Amino acid sequence: MAVASEPLAPAILAPSSARRAGPLLVGAVALVMIVAFALLRGEFPWPGGLTWSGLPERLDSLQNWLLEQRTAEDRNIVFALLDGFRAIADWLVTSLLDLLEWMTWVGTLAAGVLIVLRYGGWRAALVVLAAFVSFAMMGLWEESVQTLALMLAAVLLSLAIGMPLGVAAGRSPRVHRALTPVLDAMQIVPAFAYLMPVVILFSVGPAAAVICTMIYAIPPAVRITALGIRGVEPDTVEASQAMGATPLQTLLKVQLPLARRQLLLSVNQTIMFGLSLTVIAGLIGGRGLGDVVTSGLYSNAALALLAGGAIVIMAIALDRATAAIAERTDPARRHLTDEGRRKARIATGSAIAAIAVIALAARAFGAESSYPDELETASYVYTATIQDQLLSVIQSVLDYVQDPASLVFGITEPIGNFLVQYALEPLRIWLVEMPWFFTVLGLTAIAFLVSGLRPAVTVALMLLAIGIMGVWEPAMDTASQVLVATALAVAIGIAIGVWAAESPPVERLLRPVLDTLQTLPQLVYIIPFIYLMPVSRVPGVVASVLYAVPVVIRLVTSGVRNVAPAAVEAASAFGATRGQVLAKVKVPLARDAIMLGVNQGIIMVLAVVVIGGLVGSGALGDAVARGLQRNEFGEGVVASLAILALGIALDRVTQSRGRRRRGQPR
Amino acid sequence: MVALVLALAMGVAACGEEKEETPASSDSGGAAAPKEECGEVVLNEQAWAGSTANTYIAKAVLEGELGCEVEITKVAEIPVFQAMADGKVDAVLEDWQHVDEYEQYIEEAGTVVDGGPLGVEGHIGWFIPKYLMDEYPEFATWEGLKGQEELFKTAESGDQGMFLGGDPGYVQKDKELIKALGLDLKHVTAGAEPAQVARWTQLYKQKKPVLFYWYTPQFYNQQYELAEVELPERTPDCKDDAKSGGDAEQYKCAYDTTIIQKLFSKDFAESDSPAVDVLKKMELTNDDQEAVAKAIAGDKEDPEKAGEDWVAENADKVEAWLN
Repeated sequence: MAVASEPLAPAILAPSSARRAGPLLVGAVALVMIVAFALLRGEFPWPGGLTWSGLPERLDSLQNWLLEQRTAEDRNIVFALLDGFRAIADWLVTSLLDLLEWMTWVGTLAAGVLIVLRYGGWRAALVVLAAFVSFAMMGLWEESVQTLALMLAAVLLSLAIGMPLGVAAGRSPRVHRALTPVLDAMQIVPAFAYLMPVVILFSVGPAAAVICTMIYAIPPAVRITALGIRGVEPDTVEASQAMGATPLQTLLKVQLPLARRQLLLSVNQTIMFGLSLTVIAGLIGGRGLGDVVTSGLYSNAALALLAGGAIVIMAIALDRATAAIAERTDPARRHLTDEGRRKARIATGSAIAAIAVIALAARAFGAESSYPDELETASYVYTATIQDQLLSVIQSVLDYVQDPASLVFGITEPIGNFLVQYALEPLRIWLVEMPWFFTVLGLTAIAFLVSGLRPAVTVALMLLAIGIMGVWEPAMDTASQVLVATALAVAIGIAIGVWAAESPPVERLLRPVLDTLQTLPQLVYIIPFIYLMPVSRVPGVVASVLYAVPVVIRLVTSGVRNVAPAAVEAASAFGATRGQVLAKVKVPLARDAIMLGVNQGIIMVLAVVVIGGLVGSGALGDAVARGLQRNEFGEGVVASLAILALGIALDRVTQSRGRRRRGQPR
Repeated sequence: MVALVLALAMGVAACGEEKEETPASSDSGGAAAPKEECGEVVLNEQAWAGSTANTYIAKAVLEGELGCEVEITKVAEIPVFQAMADGKVDAVLEDWQHVDEYEQYIEEAGTVVDGGPLGVEGHIGWFIPKYLMDEYPEFATWEGLKGQEELFKTAESGDQGMFLGGDPGYVQKDKELIKALGLDLKHVTAGAEPAQVARWTQLYKQKKPVLFYWYTPQFYNQQYELAEVELPERTPDCKDDAKSGGDAEQYKCAYDTTIIQKLFSKDFAESDSPAVDVLKKMELTNDDQEAVAKAIAGDKEDPEKAGEDWVAENADKVEAWLN
């Protein structure tokens, strides 16, 4: 998502001869690999002699060392600092939550709506109001407020760290190059792998949940901030320097104000990424909606789906609110007179006063800290939520889905079986049983043909690292699933993306759907597919496709739309039909955007590998999940590193020459 | 749910008064017990329904009888050991023998304390639907499966029969068992328990053959009629947890019965909270736990209410914990 927001340079470059020859050569390499597989099938698995089998134990002893250090009498200074951080994070979340509870649910509602009304306008305020009303009606008020407090704290801290880093990366390409691999790792290494160390260092509770959320939410903050700073015209920066501004003045008075929109986008994306970790944060004491999802999966799937819905609503409300605040408080739009300033101050003052009065009045009237499930009059107790009705609707949908005699199942089951028998299984066997050196050489050659020498070297190193870590076979199994999922996501994403680019109404319709897919916890939307396509690896593939497709669609849509109008006009002038323009001009010229879509699709698919492990995908995801659940820390970390290596390798293969040549950051 | 408790507590004034009286009366009953305020007790609930059941039974007893304030956390199985070590969680009522962590936290660090068995006994095994057992009585033992593996064939098991494996987080050795017993089965991982349940219940509904890793106590056992396939008898040095790896032969026996353990944080165990004693004495049978779990997960009853109902109906059992 972070990279999705990078501007795409309009692609008008004549394809080089190397490119034209590319597909043929790639095909030749694939053919060699197929022949090698046919002749030497299963004869050369990764050799045991080339494996560092002691790695997991080393990692285990690292964890034990941490545990000992944590309880040792004379503690290392680092641990004291971490304790300090824990205290701050705990305090931040708890006091936010205490404040919201003190205000009672009426006060909390008023505060949310009035603050957004003051800074974001009435449309956004209405969205916020609707969100709070739905939490109340769902009977999930308390949990939603817990999640909200956790998110606000985590996002504040993520921005406090991410934005300065982003500024540094924006001003210095060296810092940027140094940070990029770290950020990649933070986004690809599954949270399951570091939950236990985080718990050892920060115990369970708000602080641990905040840390885990931050690890995932800081990268977009850094990336988008850096992008914003870099996007400021060099002329402007030079002008300010020429006028004698110090670097600090240039930053504060020129670069930051001009990068304002991107900075606000980074706030927005930080929130979205943070929210997607709600469920995992719940596993280590984050409470809130994440807890409801996890325990709901075991005892009440409808409730898990309902809580997932609440998370999506929170994401949409926060998204619209931050977007509206960004828009309305843009200094470029406000050249305020003294009169205007006075009015604004009065509005702020009266909003604060109104919140205080409402909160105090609510307390005086005995309103509860959370919205109650039941309201009482003298004679009768009324149910105050519609949770039961909502649950029964969801349950009836689930019942239909679970019914193996249903029409839908009759369609989805064969599709699932087909995917396993004709895509996943053959590809897995091919990758697992091909002599390992052919796999390494073949993929390296393809990387060289598609992307160039340096990426090819990286690919070779990553594949060798996977083998040395001793997880060659599960990694190839995971790779087969990732490839199938990416192929599906790209095919669907391109088709829908091109359609949306041609038709604005389609794009408008898609937006809420894409938002939902990106923020709904994967464990939630995977539920129906466990029933509908009951074949081990398929639900995981479906979940990855659903998670990756929004990014592909967005990139393809913006790519196709940004094709230079001159090229389109020229083609039309020559009498090309709309279809011809699309097929012969727009899509080929948007090729780089589409390749970026493929590339980002792979990264997103990899982010879901662990979730796949929880629904039967096996392989690396399984090992990572087991790492936490059975305390096989070392094995879990090794599997996570393999996922990272796989991610870097696949990323480099698909990076393509075009993007590299134009020096787009990665 | 807390809102519900608040509403109930506020609404029914008489009940609230009763709560004030009870701890005093129970204190006078237990002669040695000093008049201690119970204060706050933090119990950790695991994701599965059985854990929800015993946690809410304990909550009902501690709140109703001792006037404690019970907070329920939902930290995952392994991290909760560190949570107890840090005093963030007071007690876990259902732990399935995490021996590595016992060594680390109970024996070495001493930050977690053994709270005695819960009384519930876990049993892991190979299960098939009862309709299948009726049709093929020879499936009563593993030898009956030999030569008939093809019956369990599905899209993903190729030419072999499918064995549906358990949650990767659980103790298991089925891959090794299949190998050691020489069965022509393919071990297929369905993922976390909800996903595994989805798989076998679907085949059950279609009245198709299915062979899977399963355990008791489990509330689904009251909804679906299942039968167990007997595995080779246990031998003295036979192992259950294939996590430690090695030769498949050493796993060639039925799973041992798992004693479900209660665990307390050291701080809580050493405190003079009256809750410590009650939780130590707390004991449930498999049937108790399954019944409450079914009310919660099967009939979608509110866990608070299911716990309170059980306590009301089993006053004699609860009485024994209080004295």
